[in-house]
Amino acid sequence: MLFQYKSLNFNRFRVFQLTGSLLLAVFFSLQLSAQQELMLHSLPDVWHSTATNPAFFPEDKHFAIGLPGIGLDAAHSGEVSYKDIFVKSDGRTQIDFTNALAKLDPVNTVFFEQRIETASVGFRLPGKIWLQAGHANRLSGAITYPKTLPSMIWDGNAQYIGQTVDIALQTDISNWNEWSVGLAKGFGNFNIGARAKYLSGITSLLTDANRQKATITTSDDIYQLSLSTDYAFYSSSLISAFDTAGLGFDLTIGELHGKAFSKNTGFAFDLGVQYKVNEQITLDLAVLDLGGKITWKEQSNYFASQGDYQYDGVTLPGADIINGSDSLDFATKLDTLNDIFKFKKTAQEFETTLPLRGYLGGNYAFGSRWIFGLGAYFQKRAEEKATVAVGASARWKPLKWFSLGAMYSVNERSAANLGFHLVFKPGPVQLYFASDNVLNAFTVKSSPAVNFRTGLSLIF
Amino acid sequence: MHKRISFPLALAITLGIALWSACKKSDFQDVELGDHTAEFAFPLFTSDLLLKDLLFSTLNDTLSGDTVFVNADNTMTLFYSGDVAEKPASDIFKFLENPLPIPLYDSVIINPISAPGGVTIRVADILSGNIGFVLNNTTPDTLSGYFEVPQMSLQGVSFKVSFVVPPNVTWNSGPLSLAGYHLESSNNTLTFKYFAYRPDGVRVRIPMPGGFDVLAITFGLKFTYVEGYWGFQWYQLTRDTIEIDINQTELKGDLKVKNPKVVMRISNSWGFPTRGQIKYLSFIGQQGEEIPLISTGVFEHDSFDYKDFAYPSWALNEVGQTKYTDITLDSSNSNIADIFNSQPTRLIYEVDGISNAQLDPNLIGFITDKSTIKLQLRVELLLEGSIKNFGAEQVLNLDFGEFGSLDSADVEEVEFKLVTENGTPISSDVQIYFRDASGQYIDSLFLGGPKELIRAAPIDANGVASGITRTEEFIPMSAARFDNISKAKDAFLKTSFTTANGGETFVKLLATDKIVVKMGMKVKKRL
Repeated sequence: MLFQYKSLNFNRFRVFQLTGSLLLAVFFSLQLSAQQELMLHSLPDVWHSTATNPAFFPEDKHFAIGLPGIGLDAAHSGEVSYKDIFVKSDGRTQIDFTNALAKLDPVNTVFFEQRIETASVGFRLPGKIWLQAGHANRLSGAITYPKTLPSMIWDGNAQYIGQTVDIALQTDISNWNEWSVGLAKGFGNFNIGARAKYLSGITSLLTDANRQKATITTSDDIYQLSLSTDYAFYSSSLISAFDTAGLGFDLTIGELHGKAFSKNTGFAFDLGVQYKVNEQITLDLAVLDLGGKITWKEQSNYFASQGDYQYDGVTLPGADIINGSDSLDFATKLDTLNDIFKFKKTAQEFETTLPLRGYLGGNYAFGSRWIFGLGAYFQKRAEEKATVAVGASARWKPLKWFSLGAMYSVNERSAANLGFHLVFKPGPVQLYFASDNVLNAFTVKSSPAVNFRTGLSLIF
Repeated sequence: MHKRISFPLALAITLGIALWSACKKSDFQDVELGDHTAEFAFPLFTSDLLLKDLLFSTLNDTLSGDTVFVNADNTMTLFYSGDVAEKPASDIFKFLENPLPIPLYDSVIINPISAPGGVTIRVADILSGNIGFVLNNTTPDTLSGYFEVPQMSLQGVSFKVSFVVPPNVTWNSGPLSLAGYHLESSNNTLTFKYFAYRPDGVRVRIPMPGGFDVLAITFGLKFTYVEGYWGFQWYQLTRDTIEIDINQTELKGDLKVKNPKVVMRISNSWGFPTRGQIKYLSFIGQQGEEIPLISTGVFEHDSFDYKDFAYPSWALNEVGQTKYTDITLDSSNSNIADIFNSQPTRLIYEVDGISNAQLDPNLIGFITDKSTIKLQLRVELLLEGSIKNFGAEQVLNLDFGEFGSLDSADVEEVEFKLVTENGTPISSDVQIYFRDASGQYIDSLFLGGPKELIRAAPIDANGVASGITRTEEFIPMSAARFDNISKAKDAFLKTSFTTANGGETFVKLLATDKIVVKMGMKVKKRL
């Protein structure tokens, strides 16, 4: 499954192969997904926007069928883009970290949120009640890694002679199926909605926040290598073996195919309100994934490495060498590094917490063709500080079946996000494309971040 | 209506294709790692070398007589020892071991003890051996009687053996053990008697027409103690050569040993005075020239230098003791220091022994069956001195293991880092020549001659290393050279040593002095 780092002839380099494989896995995760959804949230008449607030239900509509939709929000800290890593050479894609390394910060984070809505359905019932149900597949992850990790893998450890470098990466990645049932009710100008979600976990990789130490020291004496670890992670249905018994490291990755239901279960709740102040102004607030947790039971293991490992090279018996009874044998113990990590695998259930998300918005309708809005989004992952994005949008409806709009938003990584959307509503069909950042939506390969949302639905 | 719908659908499809193509799976088909160069650094080896081990290895490999002795203060003394010359008592006792027939021409025979010249035995204790008697009755009568050796007694009873011999019959006593008998003789003689009687009681003397009709035969006699007079007697004790191999390398250098010594030890349990006569005592120089070891106040002199060895005295009842005589020739009483500055290659010596050299006519001495006189001469070199460019060579076996079969095509360059941490007061210039399985030269570690890889540790006022000097040497190497060298099977190490301050200061070498040699490697490789 994983890309195999090009084989080196020195067994002692295999420690770098292992970490290389992990790092490459991180970047490959970008291909799985490529979501802040401020723009979608500003389109409450689009069926899929109910994902951002369960109180949303398109006005004057009675029945909705949600067809597939995908939303992706991914970014790498700094300015590293896809093209910095994946380069074309003779028609083939090659991984080349040379450019990327120059753009990395001392500590880097990759995060990605992907939502694939396979199907959903909604009904309007008498008494201003709306029912909805649906299925979505979600991938949510964040990986934090030090620049020294890819740098050491790519350029070798000689650049760090006399230094102790951190090679530990932190991950919190989960992929799950989400089965939801929602109910909304209107009370005059006030709508309130709630949605319960049954979560069925597919895969998860979670590093232990209390055990995040992995360092390599290359001595400035004769380059003795010291590795110190107190590092551990949980995995469910992703890494099944971490074998250091052989000459190298065999990381066995589980299949990533999704299963509709599994023993990895949990629940989450969405709550939302919408208040129509008057004919022009509408306000809304939603909190998503409240209490969201998944308990991972299937192929769930705890992998831990703890210890200090020192490689000083071969110790030669000086007197024996001089008197000829022994050799200057450089072959001895060359494989010592193979077992430095010594990950111990223990079957263990674990729990992951879904990031808590929230939307706050307000729209002002200016005539029949213009709508102006303000929106805010926040997300809070366990063990991480909350991130917040705010934006201001304008929407123009030149035709009944077509609208387009723009948004300026500010988020943690950029104060220059110009978003846009296109919505086509021919008849019962709703087709939309929205992005919080129009530039990177069409230049995925050359941007350090990508954000878009698209989907199709039928609404009557 | 139809037209209004088809436009947005077409636009949507176009957008969809544009977006998905950005992440199309084909980008990751057969993805491979781009070519790049990485540089890895890792340790190769560490080796501790105690000076003691180094000396044992380099000095004890060819000559068995060499010994490095670690003194209580951790200084080391190098001994070059000669063979132990030994004169055991058995050399003296041999005179009665062979069968000795004594014809008894008369009924009383006084037979001299056949001791070595100048030796008069007056008391002896027999350890083992036998005596036998033969009597051929040449008379017409049956004879009965006994033989007697009155000077030999066991628990105070003189030796006697009876016989009854018919006429014309030869009687043989067979071997009679003398173990435990005590012999006393006042004049270095033994008296043998026989008493033969006819049936009528008349004592007769047996005619001996054949000359050997009445015999006493001793054989295999060994003594535990012999006492008597020891007169002047000369004998060769030893002639030997001691190789000074520290000066026998092909390489030249200036070696100065601060206080070389030649020590002669004589252990003596012979109970009479012995003089050691120094017939020859000279070193042989680098060119084969003889360099006499001249001393003052050590030896007496007549025609040769000599020394009277200490001995256990009979008069002082020192039987069984061993007395030692140590003769030391050093810079205070001889020219040995000057001789060693010229790095002699061997010492040749010849010593003879003379008993009762003073010709004391009243000297009573003794020997026991365990008495011996031993002489050993050795050269003692306390490893304190100075050396300048003193050469040594060593062949080191090599096994590069994986590196020997390393595909060096992608190796761009290699750099070795050789570090020494020297706790000895010795510097060393080193060159290593790599050789293939057939001993053919492949390459050398350093281009342009040896390098000072080991720098002397600082020394205190006593010349003892008082710290550690670290030396780092970076040895860059092209891929081609590395490839070549990695196939070497041995390394010919050629080194020259110089003590602190350029070899101008005397230093002490301690057994605990240590050199740490370690090597790391950086490899720049295309991946």
